[in-house]
Amino acid sequence: MIRAILRAQWLSLRVFHRSAGRRGAIFSLVLALAWYAFWGAVAVAIYGVTSEPELAPMVAHWLGRGLLLIFLYWQLAPLLTASFGASLDLRKLLIYPVPRGSLFTVEVLLRITAAGEMLLVLAGGVLGLFRNPVFGGWAAAPRLVGASLLFLASNLLLAAGLRNLIERVLEHRRVREVLVLGMVILVALPRLLISMGVRPEGMERLLGPAEGAWWPWAAASAVLAGRDAGANLAVLAGWTAAAWLFGRWQFARSLRFDAQAARASAAGTRPRAGGLAERLYRLPSVLLPDPLGAIVEKELRSLSRTPRFRTVFIMGFTFGLVVWLPLIVGRSGGRNPVVAEHFLVVVSLYAFAMLGQVSYWNALGFDRSAAQVWFAMPVPISRALAGKNLAAALFILVEVAAVTAACLALRVPIPPLRILEAFLVTPVAALYLLSVGNLSSVHFPKPIEPERASQGGGANRMQGLLFLVYPLALLPIALAYLARYGLDSEWAFYLVLAFAAALGAAVYWVAMESACNTAQARREMILAELSRTAGPVMTQ
Amino acid sequence: MDAPAIAVSDLRKSYGGKPAVDGLTLTVPRGCFYGFLGPNGAGKSTTIRMLTGLIPPDSGSIEILGLRLPEQEIDIKRRIGLVPDESLLFDRLTGAEFLEFVGRMYGLPRGVAAERARELLELFELEENRKLIGEYSKGMRKRTAMAAALIHNPDLFLMDEPFEGVDAVGARLMKDILLDQVRRGATIFLTSHVLEVVERLCDRVAIIHEGRIVVEGAMADLRAGAETLEDVFVRVVGAERAYARLDWL
Repeated sequence: MIRAILRAQWLSLRVFHRSAGRRGAIFSLVLALAWYAFWGAVAVAIYGVTSEPELAPMVAHWLGRGLLLIFLYWQLAPLLTASFGASLDLRKLLIYPVPRGSLFTVEVLLRITAAGEMLLVLAGGVLGLFRNPVFGGWAAAPRLVGASLLFLASNLLLAAGLRNLIERVLEHRRVREVLVLGMVILVALPRLLISMGVRPEGMERLLGPAEGAWWPWAAASAVLAGRDAGANLAVLAGWTAAAWLFGRWQFARSLRFDAQAARASAAGTRPRAGGLAERLYRLPSVLLPDPLGAIVEKELRSLSRTPRFRTVFIMGFTFGLVVWLPLIVGRSGGRNPVVAEHFLVVVSLYAFAMLGQVSYWNALGFDRSAAQVWFAMPVPISRALAGKNLAAALFILVEVAAVTAACLALRVPIPPLRILEAFLVTPVAALYLLSVGNLSSVHFPKPIEPERASQGGGANRMQGLLFLVYPLALLPIALAYLARYGLDSEWAFYLVLAFAAALGAAVYWVAMESACNTAQARREMILAELSRTAGPVMTQ
Repeated sequence: MDAPAIAVSDLRKSYGGKPAVDGLTLTVPRGCFYGFLGPNGAGKSTTIRMLTGLIPPDSGSIEILGLRLPEQEIDIKRRIGLVPDESLLFDRLTGAEFLEFVGRMYGLPRGVAAERARELLELFELEENRKLIGEYSKGMRKRTAMAAALIHNPDLFLMDEPFEGVDAVGARLMKDILLDQVRRGATIFLTSHVLEVVERLCDRVAIIHEGRIVVEGAMADLRAGAETLEDVFVRVVGAERAYARLDWL
C-alpha cells in the first residue's frame, strides 16, 4: 500500500515534469540543490568540529545546545514559516482500504521533508562523533546510532503530531490568526524575557543540557557524550514513545476531522454593504479607472479572505519584530547600533520579503485554474499584473504601518524622520522586487491552495534562497545608505534614493514588458501549470 | 451580409506530436444554436480554448464575428460570453462581487455592472450574497459562470458543458435564457454530452472525432429517418462494446 502511494506520487511528479512544468521543475531542482549544498557544507563543518579529539570538551559542552537547536528548527521552523513540508492528502486516500497504520508511517516519514536539512546536520555531527576516540569512536557505534535514531524518531513523531494538530486548528477561521500570534509570542518570550533582564541562567537550567535534565535533547546529548548512557537512553526511549502516542492520537483525530464543517463555521462573516471593510475595498476603484480599479479591488477582497495570505501577513510584522527586537533592546553590550538605527526599515523590508511568497513572487498562484480569466477577458495581461502589483504594494504599506504602530506601542525609540524613511524606502524596494516577481510569476507559476494556511516542502527552501536574492535586488537601496554614511549627508541619501526610484521605475517597466511577452507566448503552459492537481502527497 | 459568427479554416493543434485538432474547418452562421459534439478527448475543449484565444493554434485561421484572431483579440473578447469546462471563478469572492468584477472587466460602468450583477443573481437564484464562490455547489458555480457570460450581453456564447452538474430546474432556466438569446440574434456554440439537450436546442450540429469533423449539418437533415442524434453519434464515432471482452466484469 505504501509503495502504491509513493508510486502514484512519483508518477504525478513525472507527468508534471514531462509536460508544462519542466522549466519550473528545473528551477525547483536548482533551488533544492543550492539549499541542500549549503546545509551539506554546514554538516561537513560540524563533522570537522565533532571529529576533532582536541575539541572534545567544547563539543561535549555545546552538544546539548546543538541538539536543542535541531529540535527547535524541526518543530518550530515549519510553524514560523507556515511551511509544514509534504503531507498526505487524506481526502484522496481515505476512500481506499488502506490500514491507518500504513498511512501514519508515510505521514511520519514525510516529516523529513519539513526539515530535511536537519537530517544532514545531525548526520554530520554523529559521524564526527564516530571518528572521535574521546566519545568512544567506532566501538561506541551502537550507543551513538541508538541515541541518534531515537532522537530522530522522537522529532519525526512529534512533528507529525504537531502538524496534524496545527493544520486542524488552522482550519477554524476564527482561531487561525490568534494561533499565529500565540506561536510568535511563544517563540519571542524567552528572548524578550532575557532582553528585559530575566537571568538567562534560570532559563538554561530549565531547557539546557545540564546533567539530569529530562528533555530529549539533553538525554540524547548525554548518551552521545557517554554520560550515564543507560538511564538517558531510557529517558530518550520514553520521549519517543510519548511522541509516538501523541502523533498517532493527532493523526487519528485528523482522519475523523471534517474540514468543510470547520470552514463553514465562520460563513456569513463577509463585510456588510456600507461597512468599513467594504468602503476600504472600494477605495481603489474611486482612485483608479477600470479595469485597473476593478482588478485591485478584486485582489484586495480575495487576498484578505485567503487564510494563507492572512497568516503570512500577520507573521510579517509580528515575527519580524520578534527577530529584530532583541537586537536593539538587548542586554548591555548586545545592542546592534546599525539595526537599532534602521530598525523600522529593516523590519519593514523583512515583512515585505515574507509577503513575497503569497503575493508578488507567484502572482497568479492563488487564482489557480481561474487565472484563465486574465487571458479570456478583453484586458491586456499587463493590466492584470499591474493591478496585482498595486494590491501587493497597498498591503505592503499597510504592513509598514502595522510595524510602525507595533514599534510605537512597544516604545521602541524611532525618530519621525526614520518613519518617513521606512515609507520611502519600502516602495522603492518594491519597484525592484515586484519587477523580479512579475518575471518569476510568468516563468515559474505554481498553483497555491488558499485554504491551507501552510505550505509544503519546497516553500521554505524557496523562501530561504530568496533571502539570498534580496540583497542583490536591493543593491540600489544599499547604495543610498552607503552614500549617507560615506558622505555623512542626509541629502546624499535622499538623492541616491531618488535615483534608485527612477532606475527602479525603468527596471519595472522593462520587466513588465518582458513578463507580458512571456505570458502571451507561454499562456498555455501557464494555465496548464496553474490547473495542475497534486498526487496523493501534497507538496505545494 | 454579416460575416459568420465563427469561421475556422484548417485549424491544427498537437500535443507531443499527437494531433488534438487536426485540420478543422467550420462555419457557424450568425443567430444559430450550434451543437459541437464528440467523444471524450475528441478535441472539443481544445477547439473552444483556441476560439477564445486561451491557447494558440499550431496553424490555420480563426475569424470570430468577422474579426481575425489573434490580431483583433481584445475586440473579439469584448463580444464573447464564455462558459468554460473548468472553473473560471474566483473562489474568494462572493457571487455578486465576481459578477460585478466581470462586468467592469468588459467595460461596463461600476454602477451598471453592480445593478446587472444583482439582477442576474436574482434570475439565477444565487441570492446568497454573503457566501463565497468557493462554498458554492457545482450547480451554483455553473449558474454563476453562466450569469458572468451574460452580463455584457455578448453576440456570441462559447459554452463547454454548461449544464453539467446543474439540477433540472436550473438547466431549464439556462436553456430558456439561451433560446431567448438566439431569438435576439446572438449565436451559441455549445458542447455537451447530453445528446437529448443538443437535439432539442440546436439548429445545426457538428461531430468531431480524433480532431476532425466527421459529420456536420442541420439537425433536421442529420435525423432523417428513424435515427436519433445518439444513433448518429454512435454510428459515426464508431463506438463498440469493449466491455464485452472483460469476462470478469
